[in-house]
Amino acid sequence: MTEVGPHVKHKGQTIAHFKSNLLRYYWERLKKNKLSLAGLTFIIFIAIIGLFGPIFTLDPTRSDFNLANTPPLGFTRQESIYDIKSNEFTTRIIEGRIDHPLGTDSKGRDMLAMLIAGARISLLVGLLATGLAIFWGTLIGVISAYLGGWVDNVLMRFTDIMMTFPFFLLLVLIVFVYGPSLLIIILVIGLTGWTGAARLIRSEALSLRTRDFITASRALGASDIRIIFNHLIPNVISLVIVIATLSIPGVIMAEAALSFIGLGDPMSTSWGTILNAGQHTLDTSWWVAVEPGICLFLTVLSFNFLGDGLRDALDPRTSV
Amino acid sequence: MRNYIIKRFIYSIIIAWGILTVTFILLRVGPSSPVDRYILNIAAKGQNVESVKQAIEARYGLDKPLYEQYFLYMGNLLQGNWGWSLSTSMPVMDLIASHWIYSFQLILLATIFAIFVGVGLGIISAVKQNTKFDYTISVLSFIGISIPGFWLGLMLIMVFAVQFGVFKTYYDTSYPVWSLENLRQLILPVITLGTGELAGYVRYTRSSMLDNLRKEFVTTARAKGLPEHLVIGKHVLSNAVLPLVTIIMFDLGSVVFGGAYLTEIVFGIPGLGRVSFSAIFANDYPVVVAITLIGTFLVLIINLATDILYTYLDPRIRYD
Repeated sequence: MTEVGPHVKHKGQTIAHFKSNLLRYYWERLKKNKLSLAGLTFIIFIAIIGLFGPIFTLDPTRSDFNLANTPPLGFTRQESIYDIKSNEFTTRIIEGRIDHPLGTDSKGRDMLAMLIAGARISLLVGLLATGLAIFWGTLIGVISAYLGGWVDNVLMRFTDIMMTFPFFLLLVLIVFVYGPSLLIIILVIGLTGWTGAARLIRSEALSLRTRDFITASRALGASDIRIIFNHLIPNVISLVIVIATLSIPGVIMAEAALSFIGLGDPMSTSWGTILNAGQHTLDTSWWVAVEPGICLFLTVLSFNFLGDGLRDALDPRTSV
Repeated sequence: MRNYIIKRFIYSIIIAWGILTVTFILLRVGPSSPVDRYILNIAAKGQNVESVKQAIEARYGLDKPLYEQYFLYMGNLLQGNWGWSLSTSMPVMDLIASHWIYSFQLILLATIFAIFVGVGLGIISAVKQNTKFDYTISVLSFIGISIPGFWLGLMLIMVFAVQFGVFKTYYDTSYPVWSLENLRQLILPVITLGTGELAGYVRYTRSSMLDNLRKEFVTTARAKGLPEHLVIGKHVLSNAVLPLVTIIMFDLGSVVFGGAYLTEIVFGIPGLGRVSFSAIFANDYPVVVAITLIGTFLVLIINLATDILYTYLDPRIRYD
């Protein structure tokens, strides 16, 4: 067997060495999946733009009604103007401008600046809410599996109830009642979205619980807390990474949908908010509805591609 | 089996009751009151706000303490009285009775569309594994999963209704529900709602088919000289479809509360999603609670029905 894997022992190597080998092994496997590499590249690209882009762009909230509905560079738009003095209609052709390369919306705000501000919001909500949800999911899943008995019963019944709850309706309800703010959106998604993760991690931890190394550390007198945090959680971490990557798209879409129906944070520009405005100008300025949707779609697609690749790469049992 | 059904049924009722309570509390504890809307109108007309407010609160029992309102609501509900809608001044049941058919029709048609196309493409994809067709379908299904439904709806409206004028840009409620004209205007909403489901079913069907294609009974069937279409149709398909039943049934929950909700809003279909949406914004809690309750209960009952159906489809499974 020439394959390098986590199951292969390397004599005389330090643990740090072994860990870096492991990372390289996973990276080699992930690299074979071209689609997930493309996804990863796009995610890094969007993250850099979201982080540093706002420094270079115009203020996304500044409106200029003289330049309203400017088409993207390379496109034109016809506008009928009624002149009150001569009582005549004249047709004017509006061309894309270099200072607004992706056009402007009906209030004359720069689309590029708004899209970049939206990237920041989408990633922020996606990462924070998923992080929170995965944290609870892992904790509940592992504790449930390890302690078993009535604790397992109570936690899993609670998970069942949470799973039946109409999640999106709950989100709309809470955000409507307690006011639309990013913090509330992140908290609601983060505190309700852990159910799927908890179940998957529980079943993984259940199979780990009976393995010899857990029995061995218990025999050596390790406490429950120590076993959970030093042995169980590190061993489910690759599953956690995959679940997290595949959960982010749903969270990003939920935030966009919420903003789209008018419940977004009014203090920030998100892709959903732009779409909300764009749906009313489909006939005059199509780009306002098209551009944020493409950003949203590509981001979600990238996370799905990456998650799919990671699932294969982090599972040594599958061949890539 | 009978005991199992009874147990699950009671369990469903308890969950539905829990969801009712949470929804009720969330809406009634919030800072805004159902009376706000009326008062805005009245203040504009220069009438005495306080007396009208008291009259309305007394009419709907909103002046009582919260727990009393809750018990009153529960008591009425147990007697089959769903209360009155505060924003439309109609009995809640009348409101639901005149709108449910639109949601039902949309969800039914979208699910049928997704099952036929999704399962069909999944089967072909598995049979033609690792061909160009398989890769194309695989990438397309990723796209289908990643495309935000509400944005897809907007784009379909923009292209087919605004640009080409093939469909109306609004939902015309003057047609009878099952008339051809009404079914025709449901084409775009059904595609919008069905695409995400469809893409999921392609992937599940494909992997489930591939699992079964490797089984020994398939080799046996081939070895005894059965034509390939019978091997696939009789031996593989009948086994591969089983897990799909569960996935499709459990998916209904997210279709009812996520996709259908947004699709109705985008296309202006007057189904229960839109009704509950406007009810949330009007703080019309009897309507919101009723629709949430009915929706959750339906999903729970469908889940139970799936489990029961499963014992008939797969005799190896027994719940005792």
